[in-house]
Amino acid sequence: MKNIMGIIYTGERDAQLKELTAQRCVAAVPLLGRYRLIDFPLSAMVNCGIRNVGVIAQRNYNSLMDHLGSGREWNLHGKRAGLVFLPPFLTKDNVGVYSGFLDALHANLHYLRRSKERYVVITDTHMLFNAQFDAMAAAHEASGADITLMYTRDPGVRRNGLGRYIQVEEDGRVSALEVDPTIPHLNCTYLETLCIRRELLITLVDEAVSQGHYHLTRNLLMNAINDGAMKVTGFENPGRAWQIDSVQSYFDCSMELLDQETRAGFFPVEKPVLTKLRDEMPTRHMPGSLVKNSLLADGCIVEGIVENCILFRGVHIEKGAVVRNSIIMQDGLVQSGAELQYCILDKQTTVLPGTRLVAPKSYPIVVAKDSTV
Amino acid sequence: MLLAGGQGSRLGILTRHMAKPAVPFGGKYRIIDFPLSNCTNSGVDVVGVLTQYRPLELNAYIASGAPWDMDLVDGGVFVLPPYHTGATGEWYKGTANAIYQNLAFIAQYNPDYVLILSGDHIYKMDYAAMLAHHEAHHADATIAVRQVPWDEASRFGIMNTDANDNIIDFEEKPKNPKSNNASMGVYVFTWQKLRKYLIEDEMNPNSSNDFGKNIIPAMLADGQVMTAYSFNGYWKDVGTIESLWEANMDLLTDKPEIDLHDKKFRIYARNLGMLPQHIAQTAQVDNCLVTEGCEIRGLIRHSILSSGAIVEEGAQVIDSVIMPGARVDSGAVVRRAIVAENAVVSSGAQIGGEEGLIAVVGQDAVVPEGAQVKPGEQFGEG
Repeated sequence: MKNIMGIIYTGERDAQLKELTAQRCVAAVPLLGRYRLIDFPLSAMVNCGIRNVGVIAQRNYNSLMDHLGSGREWNLHGKRAGLVFLPPFLTKDNVGVYSGFLDALHANLHYLRRSKERYVVITDTHMLFNAQFDAMAAAHEASGADITLMYTRDPGVRRNGLGRYIQVEEDGRVSALEVDPTIPHLNCTYLETLCIRRELLITLVDEAVSQGHYHLTRNLLMNAINDGAMKVTGFENPGRAWQIDSVQSYFDCSMELLDQETRAGFFPVEKPVLTKLRDEMPTRHMPGSLVKNSLLADGCIVEGIVENCILFRGVHIEKGAVVRNSIIMQDGLVQSGAELQYCILDKQTTVLPGTRLVAPKSYPIVVAKDSTV
Repeated sequence: MLLAGGQGSRLGILTRHMAKPAVPFGGKYRIIDFPLSNCTNSGVDVVGVLTQYRPLELNAYIASGAPWDMDLVDGGVFVLPPYHTGATGEWYKGTANAIYQNLAFIAQYNPDYVLILSGDHIYKMDYAAMLAHHEAHHADATIAVRQVPWDEASRFGIMNTDANDNIIDFEEKPKNPKSNNASMGVYVFTWQKLRKYLIEDEMNPNSSNDFGKNIIPAMLADGQVMTAYSFNGYWKDVGTIESLWEANMDLLTDKPEIDLHDKKFRIYARNLGMLPQHIAQTAQVDNCLVTEGCEIRGLIRHSILSSGAIVEEGAQVIDSVIMPGARVDSGAVVRRAIVAENAVVSSGAQIGGEEGLIAVVGQDAVVPEGAQVKPGEQFGEG
């Protein structure tokens, strides 16, 4: 499947992720012990044989750049193609911030033009799902559609007042699109992932921007579907999908993936999710510690009690500390006698001895990066 | 120059399919990660790895050398097997001959000094400090030594030194050792001296072409400046089943002598990109090292669980090393044992025992349901 290139938009829809996105974009939000959100679409692309991936950065992309580096961990550091980082830049036509996805594509038309692949798959990073880009491209080719939209029927991702929904007819055609409806009533959720011929995309982007349009979905796609001039079809992506649009949904998604079956379904053995390496030693479970139903990355030291938790790399739970139903990011330190319940501790957080942080299940506490509690 | 060609036959079934340096260690490492990472941490950026016995696994593991930051434009790690040179060509006859056959490789880089290492030991060592010692003494050769218990000294090459660390006498496995300074098999040579002695040694038909037996004694006899460099850190020869098991268990003490958490001196390894470990509701974990990809649903105590190891509900793993990808099924009991890569211990099987020698299940072996592997036994294809 060498005839597809990928573009990942690391969007700005992070309003309700609070401190988790205070210093990073959604794509760089850490997830499940050792990953960041962008690892999922990026690995899915690589696992489908895509070798040319452009990552459109928007704001706060420092963490993202640090994470992706040269793309080596995803085998995207080659000479012939690889990872292309596309941050906004100041020119005479451009103010240094992308006004939308379409504007970002327009600013990077040179990259689209010099790429050689016949098809482009485009995706975003605020939803978590196992995208089958190769199957979508094959369906796109077979149907002769101009644009193929990836969608899910998973009800868990539907939100009132938020999201993009499409009406998929029995013959596979997409007949309607709505953006952030108060109550979604179209039958499928658009995963903000599409497939299109590269040259057609270049033409459409040029046209749309010349008419003052900057948004891919609400301008370009909406027009394409509504005026019926183009054939837009749907491709149903199998499996689960999660919206990472709030602290609560981030927390719930993490906890759902603690379940063995859900996790096994989401992480097929033959399609590993690749990520930046840290060369930590294996995790040490000390005598007297107690760990139940938890995911632990490498480099942790556990002396206390850990139940229903996700511990990222290098976390230290001291003797006498009790951590339940919580997510503790990289290098977190929970000192002796502290008690945590329904907490999300961002990276390099220290919880001092005897501190109690007990939140209700319906409102997890987020502790910002580098804090001491 | 890292000598990695030995079979390690005392590791029995564990080295049936791979050279000793490729044997897994400590949950996510292989033995060779230790000398290679030591090189990275010491600023040694050209490394030749001399292979001979079953090199496939080792070649694939080292590959471009990227995990050790050794994929460099002007250096890096090179796998050096013996090769044919037209009319002649032969296997590596001994440690010295292995280096002799690669003189041309070393000459390409024309270094001032050559460091000779072996791939059999678990230790963290800053070779740069040893090189500084070599330079300060204007030495021709420096040999790293460590003090061993007197009753074990007769198993090692023993250095007798004067007050200035100069070696005055070297005895290979002496019956009555005069000192307990044992050679670690880590040498620094001044390149031109090494070259001269290797060429002379090769021309001597009676030589066994070995550093300990031939090169070091010849240089001493000629009065070359030879110094001993004392190393006090953790160092373990993992050449036998028992010592490999012990070195793994050493990682489970309250404060292990070898600190693998130290961010300033990391041990690097090729990473398989697996999910974080999952410790299930049914699991009981007590004093263990567990790494990525592990699924623990049974009881594990005082054990090392390597990448992707699975312990099912109702299984017990005690005082054991479970290597990458191995699985222990429900109702099986593994005690004082090493279960090698991708092996399966089926339901109800009993491996090892509360005491006695270490039991071993070989790579890819499947222990049938209810079968028993007694202490000291090795199960797997012969």
